Amino acid sequence: MAEHRQHESRGKTRRHFFKTTGATAAAAYAAPYILTSKALGDATTPPASDRIVMGGIGVGNQGKSDQGAFLGRPDVQYVAVCDVRKKWRDEGKERVDAKYGTKDCAAYVDFRELLARDDIDAVHIATPDHWHSVMTIAACQAGKDIYLQKPETLTLREGPLMIAAARRYGRVVSGGSQRVLGDYRSIVDPIWAGEIGHVTSIDISVGGPSMLCTLPAQPAPPDIDWDLWLGPAPWEPYNSGRCDGNFGTGGNSWRSYYDYSGGSLTDWGAHHFGGTIFAADLLDLQPTKVTFHPASADGKEAAYVSVAYPNGTEIFHNRPARLRPEPTLTFKDALRIVGDGKSRPAKPVPEYHGGETSIYGDFIACVKTRQRPFRDLEPAVNTMTAPHLIGIAYRLGRSLEWDRATQRFVADEQANRFLDRARREPWII
Amino acid sequence: MPFDLATLDAPFAALKGYDWGADAAWLKTIDDAVVAAHGDAALGADLEQRLAAVLGAGTSRAAKEYACRKLMMIGTAASVPALAALLGDADNSHMARFALERIPAPEAAQALRDALGTVPPGLQIGMIESLGGRGDAASVPALARLLAGDPKLAAAAATALGHIHTPDALAALTAADPLAGSGVGRAVVDARLMTAEALLASGKRAEARSVYEALANAVQGKPGAKGVELAAARGLLACLDTLAAAS
Repeated sequence: MAEHRQHESRGKTRRHFFKTTGATAAAAYAAPYILTSKALGDATTPPASDRIVMGGIGVGNQGKSDQGAFLGRPDVQYVAVCDVRKKWRDEGKERVDAKYGTKDCAAYVDFRELLARDDIDAVHIATPDHWHSVMTIAACQAGKDIYLQKPETLTLREGPLMIAAARRYGRVVSGGSQRVLGDYRSIVDPIWAGEIGHVTSIDISVGGPSMLCTLPAQPAPPDIDWDLWLGPAPWEPYNSGRCDGNFGTGGNSWRSYYDYSGGSLTDWGAHHFGGTIFAADLLDLQPTKVTFHPASADGKEAAYVSVAYPNGTEIFHNRPARLRPEPTLTFKDALRIVGDGKSRPAKPVPEYHGGETSIYGDFIACVKTRQRPFRDLEPAVNTMTAPHLIGIAYRLGRSLEWDRATQRFVADEQANRFLDRARREPWII
Repeated sequence: MPFDLATLDAPFAALKGYDWGADAAWLKTIDDAVVAAHGDAALGADLEQRLAAVLGAGTSRAAKEYACRKLMMIGTAASVPALAALLGDADNSHMARFALERIPAPEAAQALRDALGTVPPGLQIGMIESLGGRGDAASVPALARLLAGDPKLAAAAATALGHIHTPDALAALTAADPLAGSGVGRAVVDARLMTAEALLASGKRAEARSVYEALANAVQGKPGAKGVELAAARGLLACLDTLAAAS
């Protein structure tokens, strides 16, 4: 693509550098790239050797916010954007160029072209969920570190494959829930201080699973590559309500629909489940039992689902108010947490690395040090397992048993059909 | 109380003429019936027959897509012929796989294997993805043959062989060039590493170590292979960690 030719010399220089200096393989993975502009840095900008070269995939909506966070960092050199929508692609490039006072930011339609650039150290991904696994695995294979918006996965099978790819290539992959540590300190701190004892139950109030999209066909506007927007998802006709990037889940946004999202349950759910699972120190665990509670016979109370962890903690999704126990801690109207009140030793709350105050800074700090980030992909995947299991129980209308070791449902062949979905050709993981 | 099958007549009649954007409240009747079919063999068989019938000529793409979604949940060997008939159809191939990939009946895997040799190359990648997703060991010979051909198919086949990771899948991957261009070498490397990880996870440490060592030796000192060498070294360290943990 003509849009990125100007950067080829930079890529060649980097390859040449490693070839001719005999740099170690470890350096090839970790060292930032030599830049020609402000290479030595100044009072506010670190030298190029301390800057991380980044690009963004999906730079509208939440991606715009993520881009702004990275672009504002003096230790990041932002060089490329990718979006299947021209408007967002152009706006993303303009933000970068305006920041640096240049016209250098490359703009891509196809993420594979961005990942093929040797000079890019790290990417942030904020596409709809159906792209996350394909892009993350491809980025790992291309040697990029990744800041991946939540929810990190669309299906249960994807998580272990993404984690394996990250570990295989030694990549830093951070999940993208900025709220987990940022918003929930009022419940995190007392629990980690041992003030409420062992957490026995958590009630989470958040929307339900996604639905089938039946919106009519509309003419696709010329500024969107519709086939690439759909990617591995089933082909369906363009409709603005199918692909709009707003945060709603009641229709007229991609977050509403099964092919692209798990619905509110995994979208806002990623925050609420993420915050409580972190607070309750469940990050290393996955649920083992999934209980479907049918709607009341008179129809006044909707069905709800709970998951039980091997340490005895239960999480209830949208349990009717009359059945909820008196909480020990609450977070707004969304979370109600009950502790057993028994003595429990205090533990220090994990913080962002490098003294950073945001999840974005945490990611960059870890790109530099090769530490696992605060929201490492593995606990992020463990977290998302809970809403995924709950969603499947809602779809099947029955209770399930989950075997973490095999990553399969126990004695339920039909439930196992929901572990993954066939991807539309040519996309594979 | 037995499900009243007659309640399905009107929704299925409507489904045959369904298109995106039409009033589809009646779909919920079919949705609910599919869920209710769990443990009700008669209802399941009736639904499967009705859904398979939607896949024939004279119905819309939207109707076929919906039927495939439901057959993903309740399909058996009985609906495989109707689904297999769509695998070579560019408009419907993916949704046929959407069902077939998840139907555990061996007939479903056979249909995907058969189609691998007959559908156009653009759709072949889909068959490869689904066979890899199923971990279908019987497809290894066919996938191995693709490793030396069209680069896109070869790369997809390598990935699928990595997911299958049987000894003969590994043998095919070991015979392939880990430094081949056009993305094939990267896929071959990735698949060999996947296989080693699977061996290590199943306690076959010596076999895993052999895979890592062979890969490291194959690429040692070659241009552009530093990442591969590092990944192999990381795998060898994992083998040592496993040994230390076991001792």
